[in-house]
Amino acid sequence: MTTEQLKDYIASRFPVMMTLLETGRREPMYEVKAGQLLEVCRALRDDETLKFNYLCNIGAVDTQERLEIVYSIASVPNRLRLDFKVVLPREGASIESVQEIWPAANWYEREMWELYGVDVKAHDNLKRFLLPDDWDKGHPMRKDWDDPDFVRFPEIE
Amino acid sequence: MGLIKKLPVYSEKIPGGAIVTTSLESVLHFAQAKSLWYLLFGTACCAIELMCTGASRYDFDRLGMMFRASPRQSDLIIAAGTITKKMAPRLRRLYDQMAEPRYVIAMGGCTIKGGPFYYDSYAVEKGIDHIVPVDIYIPGCPPRPESLMEGCLHLSEKIRRQKLLDWQEK
Repeated sequence: MTTEQLKDYIASRFPVMMTLLETGRREPMYEVKAGQLLEVCRALRDDETLKFNYLCNIGAVDTQERLEIVYSIASVPNRLRLDFKVVLPREGASIESVQEIWPAANWYEREMWELYGVDVKAHDNLKRFLLPDDWDKGHPMRKDWDDPDFVRFPEIE
Repeated sequence: MGLIKKLPVYSEKIPGGAIVTTSLESVLHFAQAKSLWYLLFGTACCAIELMCTGASRYDFDRLGMMFRASPRQSDLIIAAGTITKKMAPRLRRLYDQMAEPRYVIAMGGCTIKGGPFYYDSYAVEKGIDHIVPVDIYIPGCPPRPESLMEGCLHLSEKIRRQKLLDWQEK
């Protein structure tokens, strides 16, 4: 299945739930509503034509106006890759855990929770992961994070 | 290279006998300075240079420096590489586990002032002298083996120059 065929298939299979975004890149990027995340993920994994059985990565982006959670998945039997994102508000960001679909999500979601402050619902082991055990200074990957010890790179004229 | 300087500093051979008198201080510090066993503590790319220095081309052993895998057997920590805030308590703990007299070499920019991670990093400790007392700083990113060896020679000299039980005041 080529990228174009994948786009066509997803457009017919998920006409409402997945929105194709204009990125200017060859690989498609979709947007999924936070409420439909689990439903879409389960369908992507279980669909016989797609079989997205491998979670490559979960990333988070702080655009200073909103948080974007980017999921990269792959299909090992069908040799496909797909990216989609979920847009969350910056304050009170909360998302469903996808670890019941892809167990690999466990650590990525812990990292996301710790560094970006995204609350992950129904996660079975949400505790400190990368930061020091006694860390109490908030979520350092947020753009507005600051600390007396934190030195920003000086502006270059 | 002048490695062996004035073996026992004040020594006197008693005529007709095989006895040499000298001061405890000079012999003790001579022995300490010539057998610095260092703890294997490589946390980043400086450790590659440290390994290179330890291998046959540069041959750290000829300075009497051998790596030990346990802090209990070490005289020296060569902190080779970035120390993160999460790693810092571990470094302190390893330092505390070493028997005195103990010495620390800060190898590379990261251990001196955070190096390339000084800006925009929430995770990297800006200099290990916040955590443990440092005897020798070796700048570089990473320093070449020659720099590391020179730093170790300077440390040897420093040990030779100290007074008896100086380290207790540290």
